[in-house]
Amino acid sequence: MDLLFQFLSNTGYYLADYRNVIMIVIGALFLYLGTAKKYEPLLLVPIGFGILVGNVPFFKGFGLGIYESNSVLHYLYFGVTTGLYPSIVFLGLGAMTDFSSLLARPSLMLLGAAAQMGIFFTLLGALGLGFLPKEAASIAIIGGADGPTSIFLTAKLAPHLIGPIAIAAYSYMALIPVIQPPIMRLLTSRKERLIRMPELREVSKKERIIFPAIAVILCCFLAPASIPLLGMFFFGNFLKECGVTERLAQTARTAIIDTATILLGLTVGASTQGDVFLTPKSVGIFFLGAVAFSIATASGVIFGKIMNLFLKEKINPLLGAAGVSAVPGSAREVHLVGQSEDPENFLLMHAMACNSSGVIGSAICAGILWSFMIGL
Amino acid sequence: MYGFHAISTHNGWAMSIAGALIVFSGLVVLVAAISQIHKILQFLENKYPGFQNNNKIQENDEPEEQPESALPTIFPVELDAIACLYQPLIKELGETFYLSDLYKIAKENHFPHPHITFTAFRDAKILIPHGEGVFSWNSPIENDTTDND
Repeated sequence: MDLLFQFLSNTGYYLADYRNVIMIVIGALFLYLGTAKKYEPLLLVPIGFGILVGNVPFFKGFGLGIYESNSVLHYLYFGVTTGLYPSIVFLGLGAMTDFSSLLARPSLMLLGAAAQMGIFFTLLGALGLGFLPKEAASIAIIGGADGPTSIFLTAKLAPHLIGPIAIAAYSYMALIPVIQPPIMRLLTSRKERLIRMPELREVSKKERIIFPAIAVILCCFLAPASIPLLGMFFFGNFLKECGVTERLAQTARTAIIDTATILLGLTVGASTQGDVFLTPKSVGIFFLGAVAFSIATASGVIFGKIMNLFLKEKINPLLGAAGVSAVPGSAREVHLVGQSEDPENFLLMHAMACNSSGVIGSAICAGILWSFMIGL
Repeated sequence: MYGFHAISTHNGWAMSIAGALIVFSGLVVLVAAISQIHKILQFLENKYPGFQNNNKIQENDEPEEQPESALPTIFPVELDAIACLYQPLIKELGETFYLSDLYKIAKENHFPHPHITFTAFRDAKILIPHGEGVFSWNSPIENDTTDND
C-alpha cells in the first residue's frame, strides 16, 4: 500500500500546480493556432508541443526537467543556450533566400533599416520599466520580429529570459496577420496603398554570386558580433547561388533547417516551465514585445512615406511594414493589403526585398546591442 | 530604478541613437555597394571581353540548361492565345504543379508579366487552385500548342 501511495505522490496529477495548468492551456492554444488556424505552423506546433512536454509536473532530481543538468531535454536545450540552433537556422534561411529583388532595387533595403527603429525604441521602454541593460537589449530585439535572432541575443545576454522572449517573438511573428494590417491601414491613405511598383529588372547570376561575399564583409566588419548569424546566412546564400554546391544548399534549406527548427521549437517550448515562466517579468516582456513589433511596423511605413517626399518614382509605403524580418509572413501581409485595394497590384517581390533586408538589419542590430553590452 | 532616470543612468539614450545610426549607416553603405555591382560587372565585361567570355562559358556549363524560348516576337493580347504559349511549360510541369514553379519557368523563358497573366488565368478558370499553392491547368483550347509559332 505504501508503495502505491509513494507512486501516486510522484505522479503529475499529484504534483501539478495552477501554473502548470495555465501553461498547458497556453501550449494547447499554440497547437490550435498552428494546426487549425495555420498561423506559422512550423513554429507554433513544435513550441506548443514543447510547452506541453515542459509543463508535465515531475519529481525534481530525476533528471527529467529541461533545467536539470543531467536530463535529455537539457542536452537538447544546449543548442539554444549556446546560440547554436539560431546559427543553423540562419544557414538554412540563407540557402532559401533569393536576393534578386533586393539587388534589382537596393534602395528598398532602407525600409529594412527603418523597421529596426522598433528595437531601439523598445530598448528605451524596457530600461524605463526597470529592466537591466542586458535584459532590455534582449527584449528590444523582439522588435526585429526574428525568432532565431532574439534567441541568439538573449542566450548571450540574458539566458534566464530565453523562454518568455522566444515565446513572445514567435507569438508576434505568428500574429502578423492580426497586428500589421491595422497599422498599415492607419498610417497610409488609399491613394498610397494603390501605388504600383514597376517590374524589377533582371538580375544576373554573377550579381547574385557576388552579393553574399560583399554583404558578409561589409556587415560583419561593422558588427563582428553578428558573425554567427550573418556569416552563416550569407554562407548559405552563397551555397545556393554559386551553382556548384546545389546538393549542400539543398540539404541546408531542407534537412538541416528542419532539424534545427524542430529542436529549437521543442526545447524553447519546454523551457516555459510554469514556475520559471509565469512571472511579472514575462508579462512585461510580452507587453514590450507587442510595442516593439508595432513600432517596427510603423517605422517602416512612415519611412516609406518619407522616402516618397524625395523620390520621383514613388514607392508603395506599405512595403515598409515588410522591413521587419518575419520572412515571409510580413511580405505576404503587405501583398495582401495591397491586393485588397487593387487586386492587380503585385507587391510580393518588392516586399520580399524589404523582408530579406530586415533579416540582415535585425542581425546587425543584435551584433550592435551585444557589442554595447560588453563590459556592462 | 524606473523611467527617464533609469534610461539616463544606463546610458539608454546614447545606446539607442548610436545603435540606430550605426545600423542605418551600415545598410546605406551596403545599398551603395550592391547598387554598383551590376555597373562594375558591365564595365568589366566591356573593358575585358575575356571576362565576359569566361563567364559565358561558366553560365553555359550550368547543369540547368535553359529551354529555348518559344515566344513569338510580338506577344499576343488575347488570353486564349497566351494560354497556348504556356501549354509547353504546363506539359513540362505535369498535371498538378506549384504556381511558384510555373512562375519560375515562365521567368526563365522570358514570358512577360507572369504575375498579371496568372491572375488573368485564375479569373478565366484556366488555372484551377487546389490549395497550398498547388494548381492544375484547364486548357481553353484542346490540343493546340503550336499555332503561334
